[in-house]
Amino acid sequence: MLSEKSLAEIARERAKYPADQARSVLLAALRIAQEEQGYLSDAVMEYIAGLLGIPAIQVYEAATFYSMYDLQPVGRHKLCVCGSVSCFLNGSDAVLQHLSERLGVSPGETTADGLFTLQEVECLGACKDAPMLQVGDHYYENLTQESLDALLAKLRGESDDVR
Amino acid sequence: MPHIEIDGQSIEVVPGTTIMEAAQALGIYIPFFCYHPKLSVAANCRMCLVDVEKAPKPLPACATPVADGMKVATASRKAKMAQQGVLEFLLINHPLDCPVCDQGGECPLQDITMGFANPHSQYAEEKRVVQDPNIGPLIATEMTRCIQCTRCVRFGQEIGGIMELGATGRGEHMAIGTYVAKAVQSELSGNMIDLCPVGALTSKPFRFKARSWELKHTPGLCPHCSTGCNTDVQSLGREVLRVLPRANQAVNEEWICDKGRYAYTGLQAEDRVTRPLLRVDGVWREASWAEALDVALSGLEQVIARHGAERLAGLISAQSGNEELFLFQALLRGMGSPHVDHRLRQQDFRADAAMPVYPALNMALEDLEREPLILLCHAFPRQQQPLTNHRLRKSVLQGGKVIAIDSLRQDFNYPVTQLVAEAGADLALYAALCSHLSGHAGKTGVESLADVASDLLAADNPLILIGSALLHHPQAAAMIAQIESLAGLAGARVGWLAQDANSAGAWLSGCVPHRLPGGHRAQTIGLPADALWDADMRGFILLGTEPGVDAMRGVAALAALQKAEFVLSIAQFAGEAKQYADVILPMAAFAEGAGSFINNEGRLQTFRAAVKTPEEARPAWKILRVLGDGLNLPGFQFNELSEVTATWQREIGEYALDVPPFRTFPVLEPVPVSPHADDGLRRLGDWPLFRGDPLVRRAIPLTQPAVVKMHPDQVRALALQGDFVEISTSGGKVCLPLVADAGIPMGTVWVPMGYAETAILGAAYAACSVSTATPPATATGT
Repeated sequence: MLSEKSLAEIARERAKYPADQARSVLLAALRIAQEEQGYLSDAVMEYIAGLLGIPAIQVYEAATFYSMYDLQPVGRHKLCVCGSVSCFLNGSDAVLQHLSERLGVSPGETTADGLFTLQEVECLGACKDAPMLQVGDHYYENLTQESLDALLAKLRGESDDVR
Repeated sequence: MPHIEIDGQSIEVVPGTTIMEAAQALGIYIPFFCYHPKLSVAANCRMCLVDVEKAPKPLPACATPVADGMKVATASRKAKMAQQGVLEFLLINHPLDCPVCDQGGECPLQDITMGFANPHSQYAEEKRVVQDPNIGPLIATEMTRCIQCTRCVRFGQEIGGIMELGATGRGEHMAIGTYVAKAVQSELSGNMIDLCPVGALTSKPFRFKARSWELKHTPGLCPHCSTGCNTDVQSLGREVLRVLPRANQAVNEEWICDKGRYAYTGLQAEDRVTRPLLRVDGVWREASWAEALDVALSGLEQVIARHGAERLAGLISAQSGNEELFLFQALLRGMGSPHVDHRLRQQDFRADAAMPVYPALNMALEDLEREPLILLCHAFPRQQQPLTNHRLRKSVLQGGKVIAIDSLRQDFNYPVTQLVAEAGADLALYAALCSHLSGHAGKTGVESLADVASDLLAADNPLILIGSALLHHPQAAAMIAQIESLAGLAGARVGWLAQDANSAGAWLSGCVPHRLPGGHRAQTIGLPADALWDADMRGFILLGTEPGVDAMRGVAALAALQKAEFVLSIAQFAGEAKQYADVILPMAAFAEGAGSFINNEGRLQTFRAAVKTPEEARPAWKILRVLGDGLNLPGFQFNELSEVTATWQREIGEYALDVPPFRTFPVLEPVPVSPHADDGLRRLGDWPLFRGDPLVRRAIPLTQPAVVKMHPDQVRALALQGDFVEISTSGGKVCLPLVADAGIPMGTVWVPMGYAETAILGAAYAACSVSTATPPATATGT
């Protein structure tokens, strides 16, 4: 189900916690599995439950709680728009709406070309520069329609480079 | 000790007590949803917020330990505002569907809203809607009503021992469910319905049947296993509509298992008999009581006149009350027959003389929780006595250890060290453990035996529990003898896990062929149940039992019954009796009669009738009384049940709660396990949770199809293809679905007993063979 490399990484995380607290490894194990497979299928979550010896429902609970875990395949770029209080007061709805129009998808959906997934997430801790979104490991802050268009163009360009 | 004041009343409590517990001790009511004394404290519903002096914010009473000098107000302005605020939030997403909700009338949310809410809500937006998962045939879900108290989730984790429900999603998307669609498997799942403080989880079989205030409540006793759970039988008119637990902390605490909760649905089975039935020239017809009794009495008299009373035998279910068991053996023995038994599943009766007066746990159920080391001998209480199992689980959670010896690896819901016998080597495993204990161990195949032996020797007076399934083994007597020496070597106490609700009563009342009421030795010793099938019996009286599926050798039993000249079946259901009986007399079923049971602890408990018997059906004790009277037997002149009870009590005398686990053991001739071919397999099998008696077998919501289980390596080794296999024994063959299960040892095949289709295979532990088959499943005899 998972590669030797991923299993070794999970084993390294496992060693950090007491023997009777396997559940503590769960978040790390889910991250490692997602990095390898792109998203968390029901099968891989059940596999992790067996690996850690915890009930499968505890894996589902954690995976559905955090927006960082994807339960369906996602596009190459995941646009995570913060919708919590500071961003909401500074126009996160408009950000979402603008991206929806530009990409032709609703939050939670992926574009037909597989490039973008749009998602609304909870607070990412960048309130002083609201509204903001996260793509990969990068935060993009003080968003405007212009900066969003520029961001989309940049991400499309990066994708072309890769190809 | 902290001294605190709640609403002006003062109380001194032990440190660590919560405000909730202190308030309850004072009789002060604080509303709550998520708090439950048997579950961990979650403090997530916030309903129990109270005003604590010097605390800036209201505090949850369930999660706040008292401190000395604390002054708490449960009805101050601040407390009331908190209560109203919490309720307003809870009701934001709760639908206003009380008129169509089964919880209506017994709903804490409804009651607390009436008592504590502000009648006006500021919320005018849309309510959320939650998809309802299908979690099986027992629990109906309506998750839009859920207030996320997580009592059901905590129950699964903490009491049921398998966490199946969880809270997935976040914020307003949080929902309780299984995430991946599946039916809940816990044998205690129905208790989640009782725990749910709203109508999110309700009973599926009870759905829309009645309102709680219409129901009549009758204190009842569960007739399905030896724990003796106290129940609350709720009925409307003549119909039992549901069975709920009745709290008794010494027995079932406040739980019952799903068998006890839902078996009542079997009362509506199509083959329920409500009028006496006679077979005339091979055709069944209804008859009056007078006519049916005439035929029954003359049938019995003819058997005795032609063949003698020793050709007549009686078999009774150990779900019968003490009064019925007593009258049944009095009837048989009064007619001159010594053959009376209730142990239809047993194969080996060589230990009869050594058996205790009754199968006693020899301790209180509550004390099981405090046992540091328990050795289970062929016992799987999770299936056989679910709430006794709960006590064992508690002992393990408190640091106790449970070791199990069995023919297969069982699916316990707590950590158990399991010693699994190789195919057919059950007795050898006990013998090997004995040699380890006495320090004469040779090389054995089971490496952990030495560890178990040292655990037993290190423990101070460990407890050995003999499972009801051990008696089903063909070498049961030899295994009991080994356990006796094992107990001596380990300095252990021994208790028996009795099988049926009134197994103890059946032994004490004399429904065994070698003992009279009170456990006195019988002058003439009759044949045990299994021997009757081969003993050319000419007449049978059956009470509440279906030997075709209840007996270890069901097919042999059916053949013997069909061959007999006269069979009288006193039964709730016609069922298989139509194949062999001449007269069927309709008797009261569960909840329709009164009586008493003795549970595994030796606790005598009584129950009353909750509903009237349907049509012409009568309580079994009245039927037995009329039969005894009709045969002019002395001692049958009873008018009231209480008179029978008094006579029974006088006959059995005082019985001890702590009985010696064994009497003097006879020397046993070894019985070889039946040989099997080189490539042969051994068939394991026992009665699953929902197949053990006529009522539960007819409970449609509890129906589970029979499947064959084999080790995945065994499946590969035999190159079995597809989903179905054919099992053959010397008795016949049957085609069933195959499930791979790593708990089944190599060289064995698990096929459940208690199904008409598997009865053809004969007794458990016999040799068998398996081959690939194609459905549909059909049974054929040879």
